[in-house]
Amino acid sequence: MKESLLSIQNLSIRMIDDHQILLQNINLAVNKGEMVALIGESGSGKSLTARTVQGLLASNMMVTGHVFYQNNNLLSMGKRNHHQLLGSEIGSVFQDYRGSFTPFIKVGKQMVEAIRSHFSINKKEARELSLHVLEEIHLNSKQIFHSYPFQLSGGQVQRVAIGLALALKPKLLICDEITTALDVMSGETVLDAIEKVRKETGCAVLFITHDLVQAYKRTDRIYVMQKGKIVEEGSPVQIRCEHKHPYTKKLCSCLLSLPGEDHLQIIQGAQSV
Amino acid sequence: MKTVGKMIGSRLSQLFIMIFVLSFFTFLLMKITPGDPIRSILKVDDVSVTTKKEEQLKKEYGFDEPILKQYGDWIINVAQFDLGESLISKKPVSELILERLPATLALAIGGLTVLFLISIPLGVISSLYENRWPDYISRWIALVGASIPSFWLGLLLMYFFSLKLQWLPMMGRGTFAHFILPSFTLGMAMAPMYISLLRERLITILQSPYIEAAKARGISKRRIVFFHALRGSLIPLVTMFGLSLGSLLGGLSVIEILFSWPGMGELIVQAVTQRDYPLIQGFIIVIGFLIVLTNLLVDLLYMVINPQIQQGKEARV
Repeated sequence: MKESLLSIQNLSIRMIDDHQILLQNINLAVNKGEMVALIGESGSGKSLTARTVQGLLASNMMVTGHVFYQNNNLLSMGKRNHHQLLGSEIGSVFQDYRGSFTPFIKVGKQMVEAIRSHFSINKKEARELSLHVLEEIHLNSKQIFHSYPFQLSGGQVQRVAIGLALALKPKLLICDEITTALDVMSGETVLDAIEKVRKETGCAVLFITHDLVQAYKRTDRIYVMQKGKIVEEGSPVQIRCEHKHPYTKKLCSCLLSLPGEDHLQIIQGAQSV
Repeated sequence: MKTVGKMIGSRLSQLFIMIFVLSFFTFLLMKITPGDPIRSILKVDDVSVTTKKEEQLKKEYGFDEPILKQYGDWIINVAQFDLGESLISKKPVSELILERLPATLALAIGGLTVLFLISIPLGVISSLYENRWPDYISRWIALVGASIPSFWLGLLLMYFFSLKLQWLPMMGRGTFAHFILPSFTLGMAMAPMYISLLRERLITILQSPYIEAAKARGISKRRIVFFHALRGSLIPLVTMFGLSLGSLLGGLSVIEILFSWPGMGELIVQAVTQRDYPLIQGFIIVIGFLIVLTNLLVDLLYMVINPQIQQGKEARV
């Protein structure tokens, strides 16, 4: 039996002013070391679920249910205690890489700041740790360390954010559509960096995406969300082959597969005749 | 560095154009508005005014020449760092201005210090407690500050702190205590705009993705506000400061006269009433120079606050 790390139970969110329901009865679990995908179309409530765990919900939202992180309910523990878990226990990488770091402060300085917020080490040690993790994820550490975020590419910024997770060693890493704004090759490099963090720190990953291929290839379990509800849950094979919900069926039918080499040879042969 | 050099070059060329245009139009305006410096001189000298004497003085000062020639002569002297002589006191204009400039600059610095001490804490508190009582109090202070004219605030402060409580001197310059009331009046007069602007800007920035990312990294709230958000809010404040320099100087003159502060404000009001052309022109050159210099500093500050500007990119703060 795997040990539970994050357990979301009956989570519902609605707007206070117009009572619009944003999330309805969400039940989701992430076990230690597991990589779990939360998949669904834009506006289905994936990011909102993540923001509940990150404590980043707007004040005009009414939240009910439970969000247990290592048996502590994040919703009732108070803002200060919740905030203390962020970074060192719950790491985050966001979709908007341009907003991942403060634009006018050098990346290295922000890494040192984050490390020193969680570990009582001096600036020099924090700097060395930052350079070390940047090297670990195959970035030109010194150059990146002295750059401003706007001087880096999207993929580089995302990898720096992942590198920071390597330094802070959170038990849960929330990746919110981290490859959406990147090209395919950069996206793959970023996902490889996530694999590396998992391998080295043993952290669990809540991987939010709308790309079923990525979820299928990289995760242990998949939750499918639609209109603020979780409509299906299962292993990648179950979701792909034994899905029950019409939305999952539609999602799977949208999967484009490239023609195989044999197929291409047949086409080429037909053209040459 | 190339951008910085280019910017300084452009500002300096702006300085020359601005001073040329400004001084020419002031010169023209002074000549076409009613009033005569010759009469002022004769009145000062306490001599009965005769047409002959008037004509003689006009010739002596070159006022009988065409306006363009008068202006040309003056600007050539300025190019040789000679601002001329005051028509009334007969002292060199540069000497008169340099005598008064330190007092004006000291008061401006005092006012700006008070401005920062009032507007930054109130703006920050207001944004952090949006639509709660600390925000209401801060906005109320800003509203009251904006509704009271600076001379009236100065009079109130004088009445309470000098006349009634006798804690601070009422007028003049000398000790640090003399500095407090005029600096506070000046700072308080400018603060409302800055409080509101900082509040609005901080509220927007505190919701921006990079602040959320900093929160998600577990950075303390204090660090987020002062190192991440406040710096991002400074650009519009610095812009407003650059733009409002002219009105700051206007406000300074009123406060100087009110508190009998021996600065340039008092000097220039006298010069205008007596039509002391060389002194007015000299004053305009010095003020123009100060404004351009401060705007140059503002531009350099932009680059420090947001290094993206150095790279010629639009800031995303």
